Amino acid sequence: MTDARPTPEDEMAKHFREHAAVEPPAHLDSFILAAAQREVPVRRPSLWQRWVQACQKPRWQVAFASLVGVALMLALVQRSPEQTPGYDFAPKASAPQAKKEFAEPPAAAARSFAAPAPVAPMADFAAPARSESLNAEMAEEAKVSKRAAAPVKSLDEQLREVLRLQKSGHQQAADKLLADLHKRYPDENLTSKLKELKKN
Amino acid sequence: MSAAESSDESLLARYRSGDGSAFEILYARHRQGLYRFLLGLSGKAELAEEVYQDTWLSLIRSTSQPQGRANFRTWLYQIARNRLIDHWRKHGIHNPLHDSYDEQAHAVIDNTADPEQLLSLSRDGQRLETALQNLPADQREVFLLRAHGELDLPQIATLTETPLETVKSRLRYAQQKLRRLLAEEVLT
Repeated sequence: MTDARPTPEDEMAKHFREHAAVEPPAHLDSFILAAAQREVPVRRPSLWQRWVQACQKPRWQVAFASLVGVALMLALVQRSPEQTPGYDFAPKASAPQAKKEFAEPPAAAARSFAAPAPVAPMADFAAPARSESLNAEMAEEAKVSKRAAAPVKSLDEQLREVLRLQKSGHQQAADKLLADLHKRYPDENLTSKLKELKKN
Repeated sequence: MSAAESSDESLLARYRSGDGSAFEILYARHRQGLYRFLLGLSGKAELAEEVYQDTWLSLIRSTSQPQGRANFRTWLYQIARNRLIDHWRKHGIHNPLHDSYDEQAHAVIDNTADPEQLLSLSRDGQRLETALQNLPADQREVFLLRAHGELDLPQIATLTETPLETVKSRLRYAQQKLRRLLAEEVLT
């Protein structure tokens, strides 16, 4: 327990405190205070402030931008397309066909030149224009159409394809192909040829 | 609470977190007491100034804080005391604080405990200083820590690593001798 009353010892201590004349020299005061101001510890910024500062530095900006770029690329690459449009640039079967056509006799060749250009390459190039949102039936029809529009060797073969489509129940595709043939071969009596082929 | 009323510890923490003005308040509080303690203990103004400057600079540059039960004041005087002892050791000077002084053998019966007589004590700074230097070093240290450091006896015991009872007796003998010396000065 501390006695609050001043003891003679405390009086002596107080006497010395009050009457001691010495003071630290002024030059020491100014030196120490100047040192303290010069060496004030740097205030540590908060986590958020450090984050903002980092974002303002160019090297971090580049790093963050790269990171975002990579993330976007990954997101795009990993996204599975619903319907990938077909780009059949190479007419696979048409090359031999072309060779054959050039090898045909002049009469056949003339007929070929007179006739409109084969529809197959055009159909292939038109493929990307097809809607991606085709339903299953439409997709099947498109496949059939594509198959029907595949490179043809002759009018007879295309008519056989029409018959084949009709037999297999793809009436719509068969009609479309037949309509195309009517356009391309307006001088031909396709109906009679079709009947002949049916008989055979 | 205004800055002037803040505790020493909070001022130190504010300075360490970048508030330069907190140090100025802290320095103003302790500059006089610390300097007088060092001057009284070393007895040489040049040495006192050197240790005083070292003490404050080490506090400025350090990141440490008062540890355990020590408060800022005890911590500051501990640093200063250690610096002075280091200086004595480095320069091959005998550490007078290590001298064991037999207070009993040098005790003089003191009949001047009457506060009225304190009024007749010398107030001359030079005489006070001379009286102080006549004290044995260990008594002088305890008295200076009490008078200028304004530390209580348990704090002095901790700081000097001395039993509390020894601190009490050293302080008592120091006061008695000082009273006698200063009164004698007045009477002669």
